[in-house]
Amino acid sequence: MTLEKVTAILAEYKEMDASEITAESTFEELGLDSLDVVEIVMKIEDEFNITLEMNSEINTVGKLADFIDTLL
Amino acid sequence: MIKTDICDLLRIEYPVFQGGMAWVANASLATAVSEAGGLGIIAAMNSNGEQLRAEIKKAKEMTDKPFGVNVMLMSPYADEVSAVIAEEKIPVVTTGAGNPSKYIPLWKESGAKIIPVVPSTALARMVEKRGADAVIAEGGESGGHVGDLTTMALVPQVCDAVKIPVIAAGGIADGRGIAAAFMLGAVGVQMGTRFLVAKECTIHQNYKDKVLAAKDIDTIVTGKRLGHPVRCLKNNLSRSMFEKEYDSSVSNEELENMGVGALRRAAIDGDTSNSTLMAGQIAAMVTKEQTCKEIITEIMQEAETILKGASKWVK
Repeated sequence: MTLEKVTAILAEYKEMDASEITAESTFEELGLDSLDVVEIVMKIEDEFNITLEMNSEINTVGKLADFIDTLL
Repeated sequence: MIKTDICDLLRIEYPVFQGGMAWVANASLATAVSEAGGLGIIAAMNSNGEQLRAEIKKAKEMTDKPFGVNVMLMSPYADEVSAVIAEEKIPVVTTGAGNPSKYIPLWKESGAKIIPVVPSTALARMVEKRGADAVIAEGGESGGHVGDLTTMALVPQVCDAVKIPVIAAGGIADGRGIAAAFMLGAVGVQMGTRFLVAKECTIHQNYKDKVLAAKDIDTIVTGKRLGHPVRCLKNNLSRSMFEKEYDSSVSNEELENMGVGALRRAAIDGDTSNSTLMAGQIAAMVTKEQTCKEIITEIMQEAETILKGASKWVK
């Protein structure tokens, strides 16, 4: 469920089809620079009502979704 | 007399910050700005913890006024210098080149006021949510590492996005810039280039002379391809880097290496050709060497006159 929501946020942000994004997709592959990541984090924080502290190990969509699950 | 919220928050006389410029913003410059009633800021740049501690110690011997430290978040020593800032109970910390969220709890605990430089509204919102006391909205007119948005566009948008005070930076060199920044919603300004040529600034005279001689079209942005664009004066190195950016036969690594040590060569060695002379678009407006006291007094008087006269167009 979280993975779908995160994928939808990313798909909308990048104007991509959600099917092009998988759990293994890295932010780099999606063409997201550091400021894009800040935008995405704030969108996720607003959507899930959490505070998300990113670190360099969270580099794929799947890892991000798993991390969000630990905060819910 | 101009007083804003930021003066009370930081216990400074004038709402003027001096930018935390690497190889420039040392104890000499920062304490001169603080003594003049502004907020002097020491650049931690790529210093390690002990080098920063030594500079802080020097500054503490030179002034009793508050001064800040700027942390360049891409530095390999960012963790170390962040700890030193907390240990030394530095009252104000500014950050650049990234997201400072992970250090905010540490600095909050040491009592520092945290004022990140932000190039976008999302980062401004993010640091506000995590406890930042104010933000510096820096437009791409500034010298050194720059964002895309201009000061004119960025400052009001950041003011709308957050409730904490906003300091404007980028393209501000005199009282007109300060007055304009206030009109956009800022309650203070940060200046870099104007302080580059301050008498207490210890950079090489050749660098100062280049800034003093600069015209309006003399700055250039290099390094866009590498993802960390830098604004500096045009010279042999910056022109060559600019050209090579569009040359796909030049690797990113090669391009990156061209910039290594180039700011040091400008600021310390006085090399004006094969070096990076970081300066903002207003370099041409900086035409005289003055003390920090003279600079701050002059710009605040100009700002006051302009702001008082601003109602003349309102019929």
